[in-house]
Amino acid sequence: MAMKKRRYALVIDSRKCINCKACAVACKAENEVPVGNFRNWINESHQGEYPKLRIDFEPEQCHHCEHPSCVRVCPTGASWQRKDGVVLVAEDDCIGCRYCMIACPYDARYFHEESGTVHKCTLCIHRIDGGVLPACVETCPSKVRVFGDLEDPTSRIHELLSTRRYQVKEPQTGNGPQLYYLV
Amino acid sequence: MGTKLMDRRLFLKAAGATAGAATTLQVGCLSYFKKGRSGQADNREVPTTCELCPNKCSAIAVVEKGVVKKLNPNPENPKSRDMLCARGNAAIKQVYDPDRLKQPMIRVGARGEGKWRAVSWDEAFDFAAKKLSEVKAKHGPEGTLWSSTEGFQEVFFKNLGLAFGSPNLVRHPTLCLASVNLAYSATFGTVPSFDLLNSKFVIMSGANRFESIITPDTMDLIGGVMERKAKLVYLDPRFTVTAAKADEWYPIKPGTDLAFILAMIHVIIKENRHSKDFVAAYTTGFDQLAEHVKQYTPEWAEKETEIPAKDIVRIAREFSDAAPRALYYAGRRSSWYQNDFQMRRAQAILNAIVGNWDQVGGMVPNAKLPKGEFLFMPWDEPKAPRVDEIDKHFPLAAKGDGVYLKLRENVLSGKPYPVKAWMVYKQDPMNAMPDQAKTLRMIEQMDFIGVIDVAMSDMAWYADVVFPESAYLERTDPVEVMPGIWPAVVYRQQVVKPIHDTKPNLEIVQGLAKRLGLSDYFDYTIEQWVEAEFKELPIPMAAEHMKKHGVWAATGQPSYGKTLTPDHRFVTKTGKIELFSERLQEAGHDPLPVYSAPVPPPSDRFRLILGRVGYFTHANQTNNVWLNEHMKENDLWINPKPAERLGIRTGSTVQVTSSVGTVKLKARVTEEIRPDCVFMLHGFGKKSKMQSLVYNVGASDAVLLETAWDKVSGNAAFHETFVKVANA
Repeated sequence: MAMKKRRYALVIDSRKCINCKACAVACKAENEVPVGNFRNWINESHQGEYPKLRIDFEPEQCHHCEHPSCVRVCPTGASWQRKDGVVLVAEDDCIGCRYCMIACPYDARYFHEESGTVHKCTLCIHRIDGGVLPACVETCPSKVRVFGDLEDPTSRIHELLSTRRYQVKEPQTGNGPQLYYLV
Repeated sequence: MGTKLMDRRLFLKAAGATAGAATTLQVGCLSYFKKGRSGQADNREVPTTCELCPNKCSAIAVVEKGVVKKLNPNPENPKSRDMLCARGNAAIKQVYDPDRLKQPMIRVGARGEGKWRAVSWDEAFDFAAKKLSEVKAKHGPEGTLWSSTEGFQEVFFKNLGLAFGSPNLVRHPTLCLASVNLAYSATFGTVPSFDLLNSKFVIMSGANRFESIITPDTMDLIGGVMERKAKLVYLDPRFTVTAAKADEWYPIKPGTDLAFILAMIHVIIKENRHSKDFVAAYTTGFDQLAEHVKQYTPEWAEKETEIPAKDIVRIAREFSDAAPRALYYAGRRSSWYQNDFQMRRAQAILNAIVGNWDQVGGMVPNAKLPKGEFLFMPWDEPKAPRVDEIDKHFPLAAKGDGVYLKLRENVLSGKPYPVKAWMVYKQDPMNAMPDQAKTLRMIEQMDFIGVIDVAMSDMAWYADVVFPESAYLERTDPVEVMPGIWPAVVYRQQVVKPIHDTKPNLEIVQGLAKRLGLSDYFDYTIEQWVEAEFKELPIPMAAEHMKKHGVWAATGQPSYGKTLTPDHRFVTKTGKIELFSERLQEAGHDPLPVYSAPVPPPSDRFRLILGRVGYFTHANQTNNVWLNEHMKENDLWINPKPAERLGIRTGSTVQVTSSVGTVKLKARVTEEIRPDCVFMLHGFGKKSKMQSLVYNVGASDAVLLETAWDKVSGNAAFHETFVKVANA
């Protein structure tokens, strides 16, 4: 039987983000991310003059791009992409050259001192492959992130992307990022 | 993926009924273990209840090879809304914190010097029992003070104080939410929940709900506001995250919220916008209220609050139009000014006259669930009156909680009698109480101090003996019923065995009780206690269910309007909702909220205001490495205008001085605060070297805050301090 095609992505409703850091701490525990490194984070932008003010929060992480530049530049093939779109690092093949860190337009990777390899968001494949939401998605108090399969027309993210306006970050890179920010 | 990965909001939407009806939670439909998780051989998944803050969220601990690796939200608890915040996730680091208290310790140097001797539990118990007995022999049992904050095992500590014969138990509410509780109780006879899931118009002041996370309020409100189902009007001198998300933000002049509320009541009554049927059927004192608020015009309120009169009128109209799905939201950790009780009562009155009581999207009296009680041997009532003289000064306040700041004054003066021993459970009065220097004087005059805590708090740092408590993930605790619109029962069971030489509080209490001759009162195990509680839960196979799920929620729909029957008697003097309160009048307080303008800061000073962020609530959380890395140091927010005048730049070190203390910390020049206020975050500038990440880093607000309290509830008033700021 042919495998059903999947394409995982995240829709992010930044307006709901209250900068509480639950996503970052959940990821830290789930993926044993060292203190000082982050696989996800929240960008802040503060604008205006008192009392006309505005703050925007924007959760970010690996965009699991359609054409990931990190994979293209990897000299050993350690950076690779699953058929469902998840971008990963095969640790055994990683030589720690960090080209991928420079190539990533989103600064989403970090060098893991202990292993001498590059680490990044895996979209919690160990959870999603068992049908469990990524840790950041599940724990979020205001449910900012929506995870799902773009190929599934019944999915919530499919519905959101067909009914709401959205944008992606740094589209000019040609990477085809798969984090969709609702506007 | 199907429903397993269904977005919760969509789920709520799908489950909800037709437009106009209440959005309802399908309690019991969500199950953690239906999510497709499969435990591996050396993995265990143990349901428990978070203890990092008082919200009591349900969590599932994932244990690998005896180590807690992850905490996942448990969707079965309707109150925790299938989430776990940063603090909840970071509870793992409470267990594996290198700074943790690892064995009992007795002080060998001077108090606060940090010289300790590790001792056996026997030696620690013997030492404390000897000291407590000495104080009892000299000053009577009332010469001992027992202070604690809420927690499932707090009951054992309180019972030890009572069995010992002391009337002097003092708890956190008067450093927190006592003024709110008393104001709503005085009006409705109970403290309701706020149905933010269904509300269409919310006004919030004296609370920053998107950073001070309360379940389910934070989650329901952010969803409602961002999905344009609810409008949020927010008053705060500071541009908080809540302000950033609100539809309208007004940087109200600090301490004038009562003027805003009274003017809203004025407009609503003048324009005949109140709910006449509801007011006639369920309230008393409306005519007196109408007469009383005639003086409080929007034009008058504009001068007090700096909120334009036309906006006050418009907000009052929008609020009453949206009623009963309209709320003036009550706060928490919430007493800011000496009129705080009256300000909260005005909110309650405003809510009452638009008829949002017991309505969908309004205020809803909490449903409760029964629970069994373990019957232990009773003790005699303490003979002495309380040292804080609560009956004389705060006759309406909750006797069992005491009044913290008045208590400190009386202990320091030695009147009406001396208090010379202080036992503390799970609380850090050094940072929770204003005026740290005064707390230190209280510490100095004690003959004995014993502290039970998980970590070496600043309070523990000044103790004579420290009893290390096991972290919540290492304990089984009593069962807790959580009243609410969707009431639930939660249970905390041991996830991993204690990794250090620590004990659960019950065993610490029993160790002390044995040596104080009080063993008969504590002759039970936690298992026996919990079994007794399970017995009367309305759950089939309660013990099995609670151990397997960690939570049980009543199924079915919440029923609104149970109290809206002609013969319903509210638990007030008149049996009605009391807009005018005779009980307050008899106690010597204003029977209707009377406004008096706050004293503004002198031109060379600023009002110091406090607050929280979503990842730090309690002072003990700043030393958690997974939280600390998001903010390593607190700073002083100051508006660019005064900053320029004072030559202060972001990052420069400033000296901040009040009448009771001085601190140094870095400045943050920001537009996000009124020019007459400065702000600093709670929980930094620790004195304890075993809070290594925040020891002497930043500054503690407690050093600067002056002693002031709300007149009716005795609740500490945290925004009554003026400070000078200068480059250091």
